[in-house]
Amino acid sequence: MANVSFHAVEKAFGTTKVLHGIGFAIDDGEFVVLVGPSGCGKSTLLRMLAGLEEITAGTIAIDGKVVNDVESKDRDIAMVFQSYALYPHMTVGQNMAFSLKLRKAQPNVIQERVNHAAKILNLEPYLDRYPRELSGGQRQRVAMGRAIVRDPKVFLFDEPLSNLDAKLRVAMRAEIKALHQRLKTTTVYVTHDQVEAMTMADRIVVMHDGRIEQIGRPLELYDHPANLFVAQFIGSPAMNVVHGTIRRSGGGTVVDMGDGVQWPLLDGPGVEGQSVAYGIRPGDLSLASSTAPGAVPGEIVVIEPTGAETELLVQAGKAQVTLVTHGRPEVSPGERVGLVVAPGKVHVFDQTTGERLAA
Amino acid sequence: MSAGFSWRKVSTEAKLLLIGIPVALWTLLPIYHLALFAISPKDSAMSGHLWPDHPTLRNFVIVFTQQHHYLEYFWRQMWNSLVIAVAVGALTLFVATGAAFAISRLRVKGGRAVMNLALLTYFIPAAFLAVPMYKTMGVYGLLNTQWALILAMMAIAAPYSIWVLKQASDKLPYELDEAARIDGASPLQLFRLVYLPLMMPSLVAVGTYALLLAWNEYLYAFLLLSNDRELTLGVALGNFLAADDSPWELLMTTGLIYALPPAAIYYAFKRYMVGGLTAGAVKS
Repeated sequence: MANVSFHAVEKAFGTTKVLHGIGFAIDDGEFVVLVGPSGCGKSTLLRMLAGLEEITAGTIAIDGKVVNDVESKDRDIAMVFQSYALYPHMTVGQNMAFSLKLRKAQPNVIQERVNHAAKILNLEPYLDRYPRELSGGQRQRVAMGRAIVRDPKVFLFDEPLSNLDAKLRVAMRAEIKALHQRLKTTTVYVTHDQVEAMTMADRIVVMHDGRIEQIGRPLELYDHPANLFVAQFIGSPAMNVVHGTIRRSGGGTVVDMGDGVQWPLLDGPGVEGQSVAYGIRPGDLSLASSTAPGAVPGEIVVIEPTGAETELLVQAGKAQVTLVTHGRPEVSPGERVGLVVAPGKVHVFDQTTGERLAA
Repeated sequence: MSAGFSWRKVSTEAKLLLIGIPVALWTLLPIYHLALFAISPKDSAMSGHLWPDHPTLRNFVIVFTQQHHYLEYFWRQMWNSLVIAVAVGALTLFVATGAAFAISRLRVKGGRAVMNLALLTYFIPAAFLAVPMYKTMGVYGLLNTQWALILAMMAIAAPYSIWVLKQASDKLPYELDEAARIDGASPLQLFRLVYLPLMMPSLVAVGTYALLLAWNEYLYAFLLLSNDRELTLGVALGNFLAADDSPWELLMTTGLIYALPPAAIYYAFKRYMVGGLTAGAVKS
């Protein structure tokens, strides 16, 4: 086990710069998820940590030792690939034993470690099978088994669940989390799926365009996104964002959309006349009658029942906003309703910089 | 009658047969005549009958026991052919596999350019290169040794072999290499423990290709070897025609025998040939 630190890490492919000075530290035993849209540089950063990509500038250290010029095999890391990358000509057992064999471990040690890993991952009945004879979930477990037999300092996961179907993905998510809780090995996990990030991570690093947007615990990011990008990236369905101007005159502070719709800001931040992005999560809106005082008037466009919850798409002035409510509201498309904003749940961002305005 | 019976199926089969039978006849006719010569006695070999009056295996006995001055070194020359073909197959494979691995997997700088240059040599017909090759072998003192032919055939077989193997290697997922590197494999271990086993079908196909190319070669073998004891059987067959009274029945018998090993090899490896030589031709 080990800590990992990135210091001013940059990466360029030719003249194209894809990472612009990444710096953060991962504690021993921590489960950190790098998340961001495709092309944000998260996989590149992971591959640099793995030693599969050169580091253009800056340093990466594992356990305090700079590994910029250390070969992958000497970094004491194990990686699980999106495509599993199992050796097709080796059995499950041989796949898991391969790294130990290359390191010239004793046969009885190899046997013991492979059996131990197989037991943790429920792979014991499959040790003599070939990867092609396994299901996607089983292959994924073999890939993890191959990583854990080594007992490495750091586990690296590169979008390991993307090739699985939705149901299996949820199951494997829990399995990986349980494995981490059991082994407590420092883990860096890359995904583009914010739900995966939210559910698995101790801390999330949100990346965008080769930069870190925010680092924090999942609920921290959810409750206090540092900027508009994080606000819209984290959370499903995504946060509603409307653009308007702060008006502190008259009957209470509001954000005026300019189309007759005014969203209540209450004691929110910002100064009179400031252009802002006003964010509210779908779950922080609730339905009221269209004439209720303080409610934002709107018209129901689409109703999407999912059973326990119902998602409503509501037209409020020029903007469309999503509202999620528990239960099954008795409304129909075209109906006029009022939207009530939960107090204290409003996020306000500067229109031009996208930065969060302090309350 | 099977459940899948339908007139449509019958008609498709019939069409295939209609094309297949003439093609088969067209291909087999010369081979039939080859065989016909081989079992005809000397006096009736040129009679033009579709079946000899007195079929005989005597020609085979003569060939196998080397009872004709053209056949003085039959076994020796057969052995030469075999040694040269196997050597060309093995050495080409060695060179081409290494090159394909370096170009496709290690991504050595300039590798693709080298491969394209090698392929470019195919623009020049091999016949034009025969004399320069002769001269080159002379310069290195290799003329009239089997190494001359082996090296020449390698030069001819290698570019195509490299290309086929490179295309096949490109289809192996690159993550396998990365996984092996992280697992602790050196490039040589990667080559031996991961790359070679996965490339086996293509290797068999390319090895067979080079082997058969060398086995069937005439021009270069004729030019580069001259001593009767060093000749390949293919060239020795050509020498049958040096005299006016060529023993046709023996020529054809030897030819038939000479044609059997390639047929056997092809048959044994045909599973790999079809898959291997077209592997990578189409991006799947």
